[in-house]
Amino acid sequence: MNSFSFSLRAIVPYLGELQTAVLVTLAMSLATIGLSLAIGLVFAVLRQSRSAPLRWFATAYVEFFRNTPLLVILYFAYFMMPVIGLRMSPFQSGLVGMTLHFGAYMTEILRAGLIAVPHGQYEAGHSQGMTNFQILRHIVLPQVIRTIYAPLGNQLITIILGSSLTSAIAVNDIAAWMQTTGSDTFRYFETFLIAAIVYAVLCQVINLTRIYIGRALFPDNR
Amino acid sequence: MHETYGLLEYMPSVFRALGLTIWLSWLSLIIGAVGGLVLALMRTSGWRVLSVPALLYVEIFRSIPILIILFFFFYGAPLVLGINVSAFAAATAALSAHASALMTEVIRAGIESVGRGQWEAAQSSGMTYGQVMRHVVGPQSMQVILPPSVNIYIMILKESSIASIIGYVELTATGLLIREAHGGGFAILGIIAILYFIVCYAISLAGGALERRMKIAGSGLHMDGTR
Repeated sequence: MNSFSFSLRAIVPYLGELQTAVLVTLAMSLATIGLSLAIGLVFAVLRQSRSAPLRWFATAYVEFFRNTPLLVILYFAYFMMPVIGLRMSPFQSGLVGMTLHFGAYMTEILRAGLIAVPHGQYEAGHSQGMTNFQILRHIVLPQVIRTIYAPLGNQLITIILGSSLTSAIAVNDIAAWMQTTGSDTFRYFETFLIAAIVYAVLCQVINLTRIYIGRALFPDNR
Repeated sequence: MHETYGLLEYMPSVFRALGLTIWLSWLSLIIGAVGGLVLALMRTSGWRVLSVPALLYVEIFRSIPILIILFFFFYGAPLVLGINVSAFAAATAALSAHASALMTEVIRAGIESVGRGQWEAAQSSGMTYGQVMRHVVGPQSMQVILPPSVNIYIMILKESSIASIIGYVELTATGLLIREAHGGGFAILGIIAILYFIVCYAISLAGGALERRMKIAGSGLHMDGTR
């Protein structure tokens, strides 16, 4: 009964679209990384705030988005935009959903970086006559970067993998390419292999870059 | 107001769908834990023939989106193997495969948390590999394994929402169907999101309590099983 034979020939005409799809995945991931870092920084500072309502608000944001599926948030953003009168492309509403979701994870990563520096070190810096900027530049930032470096690298990969879900709200990324090309040519296995390899290469490039830069920056770690 | 009232009629099917979501993710976690145990034993075996494939398996699931794996099981596997795969079977296979990759790292950390000296002591008193695992390493490594497993369960529960993409009517798909039957809007998706939140948050609170109780020592792993 099994008449499967491996053939990439049928896929060739679709490789041009794959190129666009890779760019869409990269654009979505990079935009999400930038925006969720910004959101994460704001909420990480809010979580350290002296005002209890602000702290509570930031905690509620983090806990809500860490405990809901990205896909549901994407659908929510996608269907909400027209109802509240915002005309957005699937890419834009996808970016809103991605940013809200990953902003919560970024908040936790950045917060761990901020609390890694004990308050006494600020006082020690001041007592040595350092300015606020010098303390930030020479004492705080090096330690913050060291703390967030590895989890941030993992997060970049999680964002690329997660961006595949935006195909469910009509963003034409690699996952969407796999589904449309698969159904057009009925060559699901071949399109699966190509999509899997493209994602794996993207992720491993980031992973290896992270490891090599990490070795250069922190030679005394491991 | 009217819109919210109309949605209440659908609540029984929403709760049935929540049950399916919990069943799908629980089943995948159990299969994933068994697979993860086998892979972790392979990784810690010290034999390259066994440890390299296990390492590759884990790395593959770190670099390929679970959605792509799901498409493979649902669309690709029937073509290659000539078998019929239901949406439920494909979703269970994809989620279990991912869960086993995550569990491998957690179980490996658990096994490695038990000191080398205990292995030598146990083996010098004549215990076999199986006996050491069962009576010495196993009980101690549970301290390191259980707390992150709770987070893996939450991750799989959230991830099970992708089953809706291939047409398995669990919680997310039910929300989308109700939305269509109800003439659009987005309120039902908000309700679905809140339901996921309640379940996942409750589990994570329980997991936190469990972790405090077991006073997990530094295992070198983050709570989500990543390094």
